[in-house]
Amino acid sequence: MTSRMNITLSKSIYPEDIEALLKALFKAGFFSQGLLIGSWVMPIYRELFHIHYVLKTFDIDFAVETISSKNPKRVNLEKILIDSGYVVVTDYETGLRKFTKGGFEVEFLIHRRGGRVTPTKNINHLHITATPLPFIDILFRFPIIVSFVDYETRVPCPESLFIHKLIVAQRRTNNAKKENDFDQCRILTTILDKQVLRKIMISIKLGRKTQGNIITSCTTIGFPPHLLGL
Amino acid sequence: MYDFDMKVVEKKNLVHQMLREELVRCRRISVSLIKMLSGLPKGSLHARHKRYQEKKYKYHYLKYREGGKSVSKHISDGDLEKLSKQLEERKKYMKELVSYKERIKYLEKILSAKK
Repeated sequence: MTSRMNITLSKSIYPEDIEALLKALFKAGFFSQGLLIGSWVMPIYRELFHIHYVLKTFDIDFAVETISSKNPKRVNLEKILIDSGYVVVTDYETGLRKFTKGGFEVEFLIHRRGGRVTPTKNINHLHITATPLPFIDILFRFPIIVSFVDYETRVPCPESLFIHKLIVAQRRTNNAKKENDFDQCRILTTILDKQVLRKIMISIKLGRKTQGNIITSCTTIGFPPHLLGL
Repeated sequence: MYDFDMKVVEKKNLVHQMLREELVRCRRISVSLIKMLSGLPKGSLHARHKRYQEKKYKYHYLKYREGGKSVSKHISDGDLEKLSKQLEERKKYMKELVSYKERIKYLEKILSAKK
């Protein structure tokens, strides 16, 4: 899907380590097939939309686009991360490989279609393993490309993140994460573009149960579901 | 207008739960780091120079402690590069483990104070 916006930010908004990571990924061309997601998107929204959200976690999540091409662009992300000082940490139960440096943990997520639950997916063309999760594809609708002085990154638009959070909040078993999702949704409601919201809702297929989950989340945060066409 | 207010108590609870979550994450990563470390050699590489019949010889050995004793193990030239890479890797893993252990200590302290 094409980008909703290209935005330039002249000042640095990330700690040195995070910025170095984003630069390395940008140089490798990762953002043509991936997104920065999770709490580290919030500093960008703060700059662009002037929202106030300060909570950031030590895990840095990236979403990897499901590639339909038979010959996708090959990037050795594992080498790039190791060369940047990260060490590989393997979860022996699931086989998932994560990366850590200075207490920061890098993890990759990929869209999982309904059906069988698999703990990890090998992304061979990127030399990584990713956690397959449902609804990750929503985050790729109308992404924003943010240009800094010497690098670019790509993040979900607030509307797609909002819808994604409304859905996943109801699937959480962890209350803290659920509350955090609602907290982020409440803040995002101030900057949502109604037209983009509707466009995204039209572009995705949602089952009745998921629609019900969205309505429940909307009720919790006090957001009118009819703005989502529900 | 939407209702953005959250009760202070709820917010405090949320922060507490997030910290607990972070503690679990740090412990989980620490366990994985220790497992990774167990597969890497420990010690430091040293070189010895020997003179024998007018010729100078250099050979390498790995020095480490085992059961309270200092052990020196000869390393062949063929294994040298692989071993020094593994020792370098071990250093990185150790550094990472230390940062997680420090964070675990800190989180345990603040979480026990909040009880």
